[in-house]
Amino acid sequence: MNIGLDVGSTTAKVLHMEEGEIVFSKVVPSHRWIELIDDGLDDINIVSTGYFRKKVPHFAAITEITTASLGAKYHDPDAQVIVDIGGQDTKVIDLSNNTFVINDKCSAGTGAFLELAAHYFDIPVGSLGELHSKATKGAQINNTCGVFAISEMISQLVGGFSMEEVIYGLHQAFALRIAQMVPPADTVMLIGGTVQNTGIVDAVSNVLDSKIEVPGTPQLVNALGAALYRERLNDGR
Amino acid sequence: MKETVGITALVPPELIYACGKRPMDVNNVVPESSLSPGSKLCAWTAIWRDMILNGGLDIDSLVVVAGGDCHNALVDGQKVELSGMATHYFFYPFDRDTDYLRSQLEKLTRFLGGIKDERMFSLISDLKLKGRALDELRVNDRARASDVFSALISFSDMAGDPDVFEKMLNSVPETDVEYSSRVALIGVPPIYPDFHETAESFGLHVVYDELPYEFLRLGGSDLDSLARSYRDYSFAGPIKNRVELIKNELQRRRVDGVIHYTQFACHHTLEDEIFREHLDYPILTVQGDLPRPSPEQLKLRLEAFAEMMEVMP
Repeated sequence: MNIGLDVGSTTAKVLHMEEGEIVFSKVVPSHRWIELIDDGLDDINIVSTGYFRKKVPHFAAITEITTASLGAKYHDPDAQVIVDIGGQDTKVIDLSNNTFVINDKCSAGTGAFLELAAHYFDIPVGSLGELHSKATKGAQINNTCGVFAISEMISQLVGGFSMEEVIYGLHQAFALRIAQMVPPADTVMLIGGTVQNTGIVDAVSNVLDSKIEVPGTPQLVNALGAALYRERLNDGR
Repeated sequence: MKETVGITALVPPELIYACGKRPMDVNNVVPESSLSPGSKLCAWTAIWRDMILNGGLDIDSLVVVAGGDCHNALVDGQKVELSGMATHYFFYPFDRDTDYLRSQLEKLTRFLGGIKDERMFSLISDLKLKGRALDELRVNDRARASDVFSALISFSDMAGDPDVFEKMLNSVPETDVEYSSRVALIGVPPIYPDFHETAESFGLHVVYDELPYEFLRLGGSDLDSLARSYRDYSFAGPIKNRVELIKNELQRRRVDGVIHYTQFACHHTLEDEIFREHLDYPILTVQGDLPRPSPEQLKLRLEAFAEMMEVMP
C-alpha cells in the first residue's frame, strides 16, 4: 500500500494506491486530518505533503511542487504547465524547465479571494460556479489587488450590475491575475480544490490561449503525487 | 583612532584605507538589525538610514553610491546629509567610461583627505587573493558556503580592519561538503542572515555569490588602475555585460540551478525577466523584505527547488 497524505491550509486529503491503481481517497477539513489515518495505517507507507507535511505522520515529506508534478504526469504524461490553485497560495509549475513560481503574498489569485467574495454575498463558496454560469456578461473588476477588487465589486453592485455579473467579473479578475504567472504552453493543467469552481475554469479558459485540462478530482492530485512518490521509493528510484 | 567612512554600496575599499581611513559598509549591520524603519521602500537603505539618524552607527562621514546603482540610497543618503553628516556622492558611469570614473575617484580622494599610505593598495590586493582562494575552496567542495559567504561579504570593507579580517579569513574551516545540487545566488545579497545555512539544510551548495564576487574581482594599485577595474562593476553597468559575466561563472562553477534573490521595492527586481530569458538553467526567484530568520515561505521554495533538481533532473 502506498499512501499520499496532503494536509493543506484548508483541507486534508488522503489517497491509497495498490499496484499502481487508486483504491481509496477521502477529503476532510484540515483540522480533522487525524480522521484520515485513524485506522492503524503504518507511517512507513505514508508520504506527506502540504503546509502541514512535517506535522503529520510520514515516512517522507515532500513539497506540493514535486507532488503536483508527479500527480499531473500520472493524468497526462505530456503535461507541460500546472496551475495549482490552493486556499492560501497559487503555484505555477513549468515542467519543461523545472521552474515554478508561488504567489502567497497577495490573495488576488488564491482561494482566499473567492472565500472573501462568497462571505460578502453570504453564499457558500461552492455556489460561485453556478452563479457564474447564469451571467452573460461580467462587471469590470480590478485584477491586481484583492482589497481593491472587493471595493470595486461593491461599486459595481451600486452601479446596477447583478450579483451573478459581479461574480463573473471576479472570476475574470482572478483568471487575469493567474495568467500573469503562466508561461506560454500548448496545454495547462488546473489542479487544487479551487478548480472545482467551474466559473474559475471558464474564466481561465477565456484568458489563456492554451488548452485547459482539469483532472477528474483536481483536489486529489497532490495526494496522488505523494502516493506515487512512495511508490518510487519502493522501486528505489 | 582612524576616522570611519560609511559606504552604502561598493566603493573601492583600498582607496579609503590608502587615504588613512577605515570603511564601514553600512549594509553589513542590516541583516542582524531588529529596527523597524519609519518610512521605507527597500529595507536595506531604510534601516542604515535610520540607524545613522538615530546615532546607532559609529561613522564620521558617509559615501553614498548613487549613480549606476541604488536610487533609494541617493534619497536616504541626502536625509543623512541634512541631519549634519559629512556626505559625499559617488557615481559609477553606466557607459563604463574610464575617464569619468577616474574623475569620480579623484573627487572621492579629495573628500577623504588625499592618499597617505600607498602600501594599503598591495595589502588589500593580497587579501583579495586570499578571498579568491577561499571562493575556489567552496567551488571545489572543500568549504561550507555559509562560512565562505560570511567572509566574502565583508570584502566591501575588510571588516574595518585588514589585520583582524585576515585572521577571520584564515579561520574559515576547510571541510568536505556533501550536497544534492550546486546553485548560484545572483542579485543583491539576501537580507536573511541565515539564508546560506537554510539553503544548506535542503542540500543546496551555493557555489557562486554574485555580489561578493564583485568585491573580489575588482581592485587596483592607483587611481588609474582602480578606474580601469571598477568601471566593470557589473551591478552599475549594462545588464548584458552582467549576464555574460554570470554565464561564465555558472559554467565554470558547474551549477545545477540559479537562485535570484530580489529585495522588495528594489529596481533590480525588474531584471528577473532578463535573467530568465538569458540564463539556461532552472531559476528560482525569491523576495525578501525585512531582516529576520528565513521565513517558511522561503524554506518551502528552497526545499521545492532542491526537490525539483533532484527528483526530476
